[in-house]
Amino acid sequence: MSNKHQNWGWMLAVDFFFAGMGGGMLVIAAMVELFGGGTRMSLLGNLLGPVSMCIGCGFLMLELGRPLRAWRVFMNPKAILTVGAWMMSVAIISGFIYAAMAIPLDLIFWRGWTALGKCLAVVNLVTGLVVATYPGVLLGRLKGRPFWGGPGIIALYLLSSLITASAVHFLSGLLTPAPAMTIWHALPGLIAVLLLFQLLLWTGYLWIKQSGATAAEATSAQRWTSGDLSSAFKIGFVALGTVAPLVLVLLPFPAAQAVGAVLVLLGGVTMRLLTIRSGEDRTFLPGEQKYRLRLPTGDEEFLHKNWL
Amino acid sequence: MTRYAMVMDTRRCIGCGSCTVACKIHNELPIDIVYNPVTTIGPTGTFPDLTLSFLPLICMHCDNPPCVDACPTTASVQRADGIVHVVDSKCVGCLSCIMACPYGARQHNHETGTVSKCDFCKDRLEQGKLPHCVATCHQKARIFGDLHDPDSEVSKLINSNRTVQLLGELNTDPRVFYIY
Repeated sequence: MSNKHQNWGWMLAVDFFFAGMGGGMLVIAAMVELFGGGTRMSLLGNLLGPVSMCIGCGFLMLELGRPLRAWRVFMNPKAILTVGAWMMSVAIISGFIYAAMAIPLDLIFWRGWTALGKCLAVVNLVTGLVVATYPGVLLGRLKGRPFWGGPGIIALYLLSSLITASAVHFLSGLLTPAPAMTIWHALPGLIAVLLLFQLLLWTGYLWIKQSGATAAEATSAQRWTSGDLSSAFKIGFVALGTVAPLVLVLLPFPAAQAVGAVLVLLGGVTMRLLTIRSGEDRTFLPGEQKYRLRLPTGDEEFLHKNWL
Repeated sequence: MTRYAMVMDTRRCIGCGSCTVACKIHNELPIDIVYNPVTTIGPTGTFPDLTLSFLPLICMHCDNPPCVDACPTTASVQRADGIVHVVDSKCVGCLSCIMACPYGARQHNHETGTVSKCDFCKDRLEQGKLPHCVATCHQKARIFGDLHDPDSEVSKLINSNRTVQLLGELNTDPRVFYIY
């Protein structure tokens, strides 16, 4: 019962970041396709959505104890992770087929099929939304992890996914101008509103957790406000990842807005790293923590001594 | 239908750790893995009114096990007799079950990359024997049996004593009962 390998690591946090961002990018692209008056986001942005989810899948596989058996995560339809894996697979395939429609090659024979574009947009909207949401659902359902438990984490993850997705669509539009220029110009404003909402939501979340129903909840939230996670949270997420980009994206300079968008990504990944780290906090049983501290970890110096 | 359960009589436990050692040796567990720790609570109070108690822990083999639902590979299973165990060949080491278990009963074996846990010594049960921890406990603090058999010792103890289930508020319905 040592603490070694008893919690998810940073690779899962990075998976959640890329998967959520990719899902959010599909949602935004689908909304523009369906309600944007026959226009689309940039080709680069549409491609980066499924690419981002692929990167997320790669990190998820690396996090596994047996990466070569990763296909088994598709086996239990009752498990959130299985639902997420299936949805991500569909979203990646559908996302690539949709993005390819803007590539001017004869090989892409479906590029003129408008009805297919609309159908794919609907699929991308649904699957992208699930992919952007499921990490929050996965964490929120875990009963023994006081910082995660409850529906609040779902909203935080979905919101962060949409913010980071908007940021990447904005950056993609800078590099390869999007057909939907009006929508692209509105993205910094959207990012600013979502960042403000995120700041309020996090304030409320931490306040509720700190004055929470159990002592374990309060202790876990205290790590964020004045404990070991507070510096990274306040500097990395709040100052650099939320407040600074909130100001920068509102400036009427594309360069400043681009820096703001990059900082949004920094904030997104920091938030996920910290929330996954918070999974160390469990509702410990009486005397359990003291017991754990006394256990060997298997890498004690005396174990490596040659006794013969 | 058999429904295995365990009763921990904390009034009898002296915190000797025999159950921990027996389990570890017979199951050949790695150095950093313990299935059934015995934690120490206290001493509390002020001299001379001091109290010290021990809490033997183990997988709760919950009736509503969150670990089974969390497992994406169906490696975590609950048998008809209530025993929750891991099918090693199906486990990919995603740690979902570890994160889902509120009791910290599951362990990641960093040598195999998979998750392992107490299975109430199901192989011994098939031979009509008791789990190692129960057979070893010289204080009879661990009592094992069929909850659905009204004549079993566990049924009698649960019906005649005040018992608690750990973290019962989480709706996991543990099948380990504590007499205190």
